Amino acid sequence: MEKRSPYRLPFAALIVVGSAAFVYGVLKPDPARAWQAYLINFLLWSAIAQGGLLFSAIMTTTRAKWSGPLSGLSEAFAGFFPVSIVLFLILFLGASHVFPWLHSHDLHGKEVWLNLPFLFTRDLVGLLILYGFGFVYLYYSLLLKVEPADFGGPFRFVFNRLHGHRQQDQERIKKRKGLFSILYMLAFAFVLSLIGYDLVMSMDPHWISTLFGAYTFVKAIYVGLGGLIILAAVMHLNPNNGFHLEDAHFHDVGKLFFAFCLVWADFFYVQLVVIWYGNIPEETVYIIERTMMVPWRYLAWAIFAVCFVIPFFVLLNKKVKTMPKFMIVFCSCIITGMWFEHFLLLAPAMGHSMHHNLPLGINDVLISLGFLGLMLLALNSFLRQFPELARTEKREVS
Amino acid sequence: MATDTYVMGIFNTEDQAVTAVGALKTSSWPLRRIHSPIPSHKLADAAGIKKSMAGWYTLCGGIIGFFSGFALAIFTALRWELIVSGKPVVALIPFVIVGFEFTVLFAIFGNLIGFLHQSKLPRQANLEHYDPRCSGEHFGVLAACAEDQREDLSELFRQNGGDVRVFGKNA
Repeated sequence: MEKRSPYRLPFAALIVVGSAAFVYGVLKPDPARAWQAYLINFLLWSAIAQGGLLFSAIMTTTRAKWSGPLSGLSEAFAGFFPVSIVLFLILFLGASHVFPWLHSHDLHGKEVWLNLPFLFTRDLVGLLILYGFGFVYLYYSLLLKVEPADFGGPFRFVFNRLHGHRQQDQERIKKRKGLFSILYMLAFAFVLSLIGYDLVMSMDPHWISTLFGAYTFVKAIYVGLGGLIILAAVMHLNPNNGFHLEDAHFHDVGKLFFAFCLVWADFFYVQLVVIWYGNIPEETVYIIERTMMVPWRYLAWAIFAVCFVIPFFVLLNKKVKTMPKFMIVFCSCIITGMWFEHFLLLAPAMGHSMHHNLPLGINDVLISLGFLGLMLLALNSFLRQFPELARTEKREVS
Repeated sequence: MATDTYVMGIFNTEDQAVTAVGALKTSSWPLRRIHSPIPSHKLADAAGIKKSMAGWYTLCGGIIGFFSGFALAIFTALRWELIVSGKPVVALIPFVIVGFEFTVLFAIFGNLIGFLHQSKLPRQANLEHYDPRCSGEHFGVLAACAEDQREDLSELFRQNGGDVRVFGKNA
């Protein structure tokens, strides 16, 4: 057994701080605010994990070889999947604060879709399918590059157990891996659409945008790539782990990131333009509240600048994409921007806009740090169980 | 040093051409031109060629196009000031589409102009000191030297596995 990771303690400390802040928030007179921060973070960090693994699935499906060690590294994000499921279950403890439509008496026939048992069941099943495909894909991917070893935690243990009964037919494993990469991608689109409709759009039960589901999963790819770039850059800068990337790798994944910055903005715009043309009050009220009314309008424009306008002009440059330190800061800013984007979508609907100040406080920051700690701990633990994922020497790319 | 004789090494593979260019760089003979049947980063690096400026043309084209698109849409809307379904005459949200399309179009124009300008095209006269094999699958490396050094330069190309063609006053 290897010695424990030195990062474990600070990560655990972050989680403790976050949990304490969350529990304090829930016990305080205003628990809805704590649950709102919880929902935002659940959506954001799950999206980073789902989008992270998606990168590897895309590379497999397109048989791309340019990504090199990035593809393996992105598989580490699957370490967050079990955490995400637990977080989802906890979310329903606060259902009465999380779903404003539970207190609404005029759902106009939407009760069929918007009722707690059905919503909980379908979202849980969806997530289980998504993560299930993700893990099966991961299993076949690991079979190609990992040998059983007598160390590691729960993931490695399960892998070793399954591995023992397998025949090592490489071609067959590659085929299965290809199949499950496609299934994961399909599930990604369907399940993230469902999550987007159920956990974000339904907060304002009278508002609809048909494209909201696609917008949600495109956003997840965007933040997933951002998370992957940060992880790769951090691993690259640490001289002790043997992980090394060429400038060309950073450049290429940076280009993909840039592309999804554009796609995200495009999916935002195509929703906006349809609502603008239709000019139906029950659709426009959602946009007007968020882009024209105090206190949300400044936030809305700031998000647009941080997540689209600035990245667009900065990422045009080739040089900055190959600077790991810069990209860590830059991608962190964009992911923070996406945190606020979730906040902008959820908070007005959850009825915290009574004052002229943004309903933000130190508690939101601490809860978010707790989730950051969860993500870091999940990644760290997964990469320690499968150090092969962060290995740079040439290996067979399938 | 007079450099009135031109010697071209003609290579079958990219690697041969790259090592020949590398050898030329360490010698005193000036490298005049490289022909490659494929876009090759290795050759560009070996010859120390700076990054093309064509990207800046594309960027400028895109920026001009963005504003031209909006300008065209606003101008045409103002020529016929008719309010349709309560919308403002100058409505920026739908004009983004025109702006976007013009950005793409003008960026492509900029790119094309940049490419033509940077590669000094179109060119009326045929290239001097040219071997037709360079229009096929061969790599051509052209260097200049003084008349009495042509054998030394030829030898450099031959050592790297190339075929040699000399363009001189007496060749």
